Amino acid sequence: MKNLVLNGVSRVFSGEDEREVEALFNLDIKFSAGEFVSIIGPTGCGKTTLLRLISGLEPLTSGQILIDDKLVKGLNRACTLVFQQFSLFPWFSVLGNVTFALEMKGIDKSRQHQEASALLKLVGLEGAAKARPYELSGGMQQRVAIARALAYDPEILLMDEPFGALDEKTRHKLQDVLLDIWQEKRKTILFVTHNIDEAVYLADRIVVMAAEPGRVVKDIPITLPRPRNRLSEEFTELHIRIRNLIEIPG
Amino acid sequence: MNRLFRALQGFILPVLFLVVWEVWAVRLDNPALVPRVEAVLGVLFHPFSELIGTGTLAWNTAVSLFRVLFGFTIAVILCVPLGLCMGTSQTVFRLVNPLVELFRPLCPIAWIPFAMAFFGVTRVPQLFGVRYSDTILDSVQVGMVFIIFWGGLFPILLNTIYGVTGVRSLWIETARTLGATRRRIFRNVILPAALPAIMTGLRVGLGISWMVIIAAEMLPGSDSGIGYLIMYSYELAEMQILVASMVVIGLIGLALNRGLELVSLRVSRWQPLER
Ligand SMILES: Nc1ncnc2c1ncn2[C@@H]1O[C@H](COP(=O)(O)OP(=O)(O)O)[C@@H](O)[C@H]1O
Ligand SMILES: [Mg+2]
Repeated sequence: MKNLVLNGVSRVFSGEDEREVEALFNLDIKFSAGEFVSIIGPTGCGKTTLLRLISGLEPLTSGQILIDDKLVKGLNRACTLVFQQFSLFPWFSVLGNVTFALEMKGIDKSRQHQEASALLKLVGLEGAAKARPYELSGGMQQRVAIARALAYDPEILLMDEPFGALDEKTRHKLQDVLLDIWQEKRKTILFVTHNIDEAVYLADRIVVMAAEPGRVVKDIPITLPRPRNRLSEEFTELHIRIRNLIEIPG
Repeated sequence: MNRLFRALQGFILPVLFLVVWEVWAVRLDNPALVPRVEAVLGVLFHPFSELIGTGTLAWNTAVSLFRVLFGFTIAVILCVPLGLCMGTSQTVFRLVNPLVELFRPLCPIAWIPFAMAFFGVTRVPQLFGVRYSDTILDSVQVGMVFIIFWGGLFPILLNTIYGVTGVRSLWIETARTLGATRRRIFRNVILPAALPAIMTGLRVGLGISWMVIIAAEMLPGSDSGIGYLIMYSYELAEMQILVASMVVIGLIGLALNRGLELVSLRVSRWQPLER
């Protein structure tokens, strides 16, 4: 089990006209093993940057990222990232995309097919193994991306608005798929979204961020029982509370 | 009816062209200037009969094709790897690119005098210390290979670089977060993603290599090939052979392009929907 700790993490970008952008300023956050955390905030508040720093794709300007008290240097092996954009490799089949990750993980060739099929079944795509990514709808592509990320078997799954480009019905369906997976695999999930409903529906805890500089304004535990009812009073109350936080950052 | 008409559409202008040509040839009545269509077809339909002491049309075509494929293959073997290196490594790019920019404006034809001076009439077997190998290699001069090589060089090199640098960083980053090593990323991401552009380079390169064969076969000491046939039939005023040779060049060029286009479509099936 892995705990993820951010200590005074900052990231400064030097913009085009020599202007410095503080994408993230002095973040202190702790994520416990097995937690489902939604990270929410307006566009430009540094949500994507945060996930990229944690995954090690991008360097910190200052601060530390620790996993179980060990400093993370370079690529973070405990994580993998599901991107907002459709990121399947179009030259591989659906199955090929998943086995690619299994292969990177050093899974035996003879077991790859079976494991990949099991993962595709988990995301409800057992029939599409031979399909090409471009033959799939956006929702199906993101399912495959999730299966591929699970194939890497990370302790921490980073997801950057993975359902942002999907219609509401598909989005709701995939939220339930993701919750089932989370309950089965017990991974830590950091789920970035700018959809309040999505955040409240999914998370144990919501981290609310604000921009300029990118920072955390509130850290709210969500104790609503699961499965959650979007129409319940408590749900609506939380929704309104978070909306106020985002619109008038404290 | 409509479909039939559409299928025929492509033939209207060529047929019209042939008719005008024929009328012109008949009225001019000077086969040393404008050969009759049937005279040209006569040459084309007898590819295995001896022509003006240079061998058959088929043989000359084969020789030219062999020379082009020889020079083109060398261009592929050298330029695809170089392009891959230049595309992936900034250092290699900065090191090699000035030279590329410098040589790029020189059309392959400009290298003919240099090739003549440098390689003379040396044939490929002589490079291996054999005077005659009794194979088709005996008709391949080093200078020709050089010119053809230059024809293919830049399209292949530049398209390969373009293909590699154009690979979406999203794909590379995805592979990295899935734990792929650099070698894996190269093999399973960069190479397949760049392949469509590389194939375009090969297609354009082969087209140009084939185009410059005429110039390459004008080198002194060449005594066969479709380009040589053109020059020689001109000197003997055998215009029907000249025109037939030009038709062959056009048709072979078309076939080469179509062939590579088919391969290209296979490796880039995923591409049109990826915009
Ligand atoms: N590579 C980069 N270069 C310069 N500025 C960047 C870069 N990436 C992000 N930024 C800036 O950092 C801020 C946060 O961006 P981002 O993390 O993408 O926000 P979000 O995902 O919350 O919309 C924005 O102002 C953005 O313009
Ligand atoms: Mg973002």
